[in-house]
Amino acid sequence: MPEQAITQPEIDAVFPKVAQTIADALGCDLDEVKPKSSLIEDLDAESIDFLDLVFRLEKGFGVKIPRGKIVEDARGPLPESEFESKGVVTEAGLARLRQFLDEVPTERIKTPLKAAEVPRLFTAETFCKVVIRAQRAAA
Amino acid sequence: MAIDSGLQGKVALVTGGSRGIGRAVVERLAGDGMQVVFFYRDNAAAAQEVLAAVAAASGRGEALQADVADAEAVGAAVERVINAHGRIDLLVNNAGIVRDNLLGLLEDVDIRAVLDTNVGGTFNVTRAVARHMISKRSGRIVNLSSVAATKGGRGQSNYAASKGAIEAFTRAMAVELASRKITVNCVSPGVIETEMSQQVRDLADEQIKARILLRRYGQALDVANAVWFLASRFADYITGEVLHVDGGFKME
Repeated sequence: MPEQAITQPEIDAVFPKVAQTIADALGCDLDEVKPKSSLIEDLDAESIDFLDLVFRLEKGFGVKIPRGKIVEDARGPLPESEFESKGVVTEAGLARLRQFLDEVPTERIKTPLKAAEVPRLFTAETFCKVVIRAQRAAA
Repeated sequence: MAIDSGLQGKVALVTGGSRGIGRAVVERLAGDGMQVVFFYRDNAAAAQEVLAAVAAASGRGEALQADVADAEAVGAAVERVINAHGRIDLLVNNAGIVRDNLLGLLEDVDIRAVLDTNVGGTFNVTRAVARHMISKRSGRIVNLSSVAATKGGRGQSNYAASKGAIEAFTRAMAVELASRKITVNCVSPGVIETEMSQQVRDLADEQIKARILLRRYGQALDVANAVWFLASRFADYITGEVLHVDGGFKME
């Protein structure tokens, strides 16, 4: 079943708390955290910060975000073998990412994109959507 | 006058705390003012004795039953500690078992039990605790290795391999957690007078002592003192290290 689209009001509702959580996890100023900020490229996050961030979001919102869930969701219905080839995201994979990460400017989702670098695309809004999906799953 | 180790009031979690070296670590840390929670697998009576000893010395201790090889049980037990205390400042991965025998005589179950408890247990508990330390941006992890990691004896293939893994794990975790100001070190005891080493001491007493420069076995407190040091503020600038407490054990 296709996912029910996430609406802007839903994102606006969780953004302030998600932004504060990101600021806490990364130790940056709250006003640096914009919906379109890439956590890794704009806010200097490291992969270990994602672990901490997800942990804090789980606690703050009272939801469960299973390990690996974000990347798995990003891949969507595509099996790993169609999503990437030799570690590089395929055309089909890129199309899927543009659809799933519609908050990310499409010009950033271009070949060659290594599968391991997909998290570089994640923005504050990506994490708003992660929280909304987790809330929906719990409802 | 007591020296300020920086440990007073902080929370420690020690695995395998009801006996041997683990017990000495629990008592040493509680004696220095830490709130010490320890895991024990099945010896509730021994755990009660430790708690009584801690209380008699005006320390604060708490025992939780948990098999470190059981990831789910470990997750639940660590959550209980966090809910009760809000944080874990120090983790001591001490729980370990031996099933010595020549490789050809080792049953699969003896190999697996040692690796599951010694290595798997260290992974399970560290994974559950480190996430909290990462959030706090501080913490200390001290893992218990053994002289067997570098100088394994006959019949110790499973145990030696498990302890070698723990030393490698220590160095990798030191790298992984350094940016969060968490230090990860190892204490590597030689032959210590505990129940666990009784068999090997009975079998080869003179041969072993001949290899120890100080010509005697160590005491659990010798190891506990090293753990205390690595946990204290005196070890602020030490990470990824193995501290040998073995009386100068040599292989000649």
